[in-house]
Amino acid sequence: MSDDSHKPVLLRRERLVAAGVVLIWTILAARLVQIQGLQRKEFAHRARRQQTIEQTIPARPGDIFDRSGRLLATTTRAESLFVDPSRIDDPWGVSLSLSEAVHIDSDRLYERIGASRNSRFLWVKRRLSRDEADAVRRLDLPRHCWGLRREYLRQYPQGTLASHVLGLRDIDGIGRGGVEQAFDALLRGRDGTRRLVRDARGFVLDELDQVAQPVEHGQDIHLTLDAVVQTHVEHQLDRLMEEWKPVAVSAVVLDPNSGEIVAMASRPTFDQNDPGAGDGEGWVNRAIAAVSEPGSTFKPLIVAWALDRELLLRDEPFDCEQGEYRMGGRLLHDHHPYGVLSTADVLVKSSNIGMAKIGERLGNERLHTAATAFGFGRKTGVELPGELSGTLRPLPLWTDYSLGSIPMGQELSATPLQVVTAHAVLANGGRMITPHLFASGRHPAPSPRNVVTSRVIGEEAANWVVRVPLVQVVERGTGRKAALEDFQVFGKSGTAQKFDAATGQYSHTRHVCSFVCGAPADDPRLLVLVTVDEPTVGGPHFGGTVAAPAAAQILRRALLYRENRTRFAEDFDDAVPAR
Amino acid sequence: MFFRFGAALVLVILIALLGIAIEKRNLALRRSISLQDYRREQLLEQRARLRLETEQLGAPGRLLDEVEAGRLPLEVAEEAESSSVAR
Repeated sequence: MSDDSHKPVLLRRERLVAAGVVLIWTILAARLVQIQGLQRKEFAHRARRQQTIEQTIPARPGDIFDRSGRLLATTTRAESLFVDPSRIDDPWGVSLSLSEAVHIDSDRLYERIGASRNSRFLWVKRRLSRDEADAVRRLDLPRHCWGLRREYLRQYPQGTLASHVLGLRDIDGIGRGGVEQAFDALLRGRDGTRRLVRDARGFVLDELDQVAQPVEHGQDIHLTLDAVVQTHVEHQLDRLMEEWKPVAVSAVVLDPNSGEIVAMASRPTFDQNDPGAGDGEGWVNRAIAAVSEPGSTFKPLIVAWALDRELLLRDEPFDCEQGEYRMGGRLLHDHHPYGVLSTADVLVKSSNIGMAKIGERLGNERLHTAATAFGFGRKTGVELPGELSGTLRPLPLWTDYSLGSIPMGQELSATPLQVVTAHAVLANGGRMITPHLFASGRHPAPSPRNVVTSRVIGEEAANWVVRVPLVQVVERGTGRKAALEDFQVFGKSGTAQKFDAATGQYSHTRHVCSFVCGAPADDPRLLVLVTVDEPTVGGPHFGGTVAAPAAAQILRRALLYRENRTRFAEDFDDAVPAR
Repeated sequence: MFFRFGAALVLVILIALLGIAIEKRNLALRRSISLQDYRREQLLEQRARLRLETEQLGAPGRLLDEVEAGRLPLEVAEEAESSSVAR
């Protein structure tokens, strides 16, 4: 009786349980369909994101070599120290230990850690030395709160040599200044990536090589610089700084036939291996970023141009008025009173009056054309950032005053590189060649900049100016201190008065002394320009007394070195027969 | 029937074992490539460091004063050079 009465209840309960089970299974099946079917893509994407990590493979920057394969810049690996501030239990203790190991200020580090307590990452010091990295490891700090990451460190094995030309790589590996910036795209390369599979604890299980982006290391580049000549140049500049205590000095050595820059230096300078030291003045490459009036170094250019256009004769006499000549409302002076001078002697004696008379004959329009033809007022196109174009005012702004000023190198300004490039036109027989640093023919990639060659004047006029008046400048003129026993030198001195903004007039005490010279006169192989900005001790301050001896020494050493190299190469070729 | 079943089973097992062997070999090769990549990196780094040191020691700026002052015996170096050339 009682069993029969319980049957409907049991049956109901069974059905309830069965319905519950069916419901649960239905829910599970629906969820399965949702996960595996409807939201499959989303969950698969989420799983992939959790399991795989993308790791950057940094590209190693390319090396920089000089023309003989000497290493100027290279890259090694160094370790950088970071901490996880959120997991540091004892910030002061960690700050104290780390600061002793890596030689930084402990208070400053403590402050930085305190300010980043919610962060998971904080650089302590980047690019540690090996000793510093070892010292950090020996501290035995809790492993979860610090780490060392490997980064590339740019190194300059020649020290401060050619620092303005090379520039440097900043803390993030980006080229700043000089060749490092100009050729950054070539040198830096392209970082690669690899995707790694990791487990729940973060341990790497596998590398998904099919999706990796291969790393492209930076390309090596070869420059036209010669480290030996560059060293000679920098020694001479250091001596000039010591002897004349000027504000700055610079020098450029150029091959006039190819436009290759063999050396370029500037003082004050900076140390790429320790860029924080020194003041901001040292960062300026004065060979391309300091402008001044070219002064008398401009005179031979005007004479050559006028000769080439047959507006002037080689043996033409000019009355130099015994040192005083009134030109409109302006009274011109020469350093010494001269009577009648030939065209050559106007240059040899560097007569301002003689040049003013040549200027009167040419007129402003032709003078402007000549200055433009020699590259004044525009950048030379050298592959360096920060080059200035100098100043060549538009022709409508020129006045009668310009007839006297322009031929003697006033009323316009130029960088030392512009001046030496213009003189290269005379030295190579009349062709303007873009000065450059990228040695062509040694790279798989073409030069990033074009080297343009164009004719400015005829060969005859250029050769005469070099072989007659400019040789005589050194033999019996203002450049006698540049004479060498080994080579026949040609050259021209320049002494430009600096403009005094306070008085609005040219200063009689502040000068820019320069000397441009080359050798041998019958086949010039190298040109040297030395510019000394405002010598402050000794005297007198002329281009021929201050800059000429240094320019001649640089020229002599560079030519002798090149001759020895050629002789050695010939001996070597003779000794080792071609296979 | 049993023979055919057994043969099929053996075939399946053999294919599975072959797959495992290939997978193991693949893993071993990948490990070896990875190790060689690591060694290559190490050697490149070592080469860069040694070249850096060599260039620092032979830098013109470091040697020029010595050469000009006659403190470096260049003749010996030239003799060594010529003898190596002759050989």
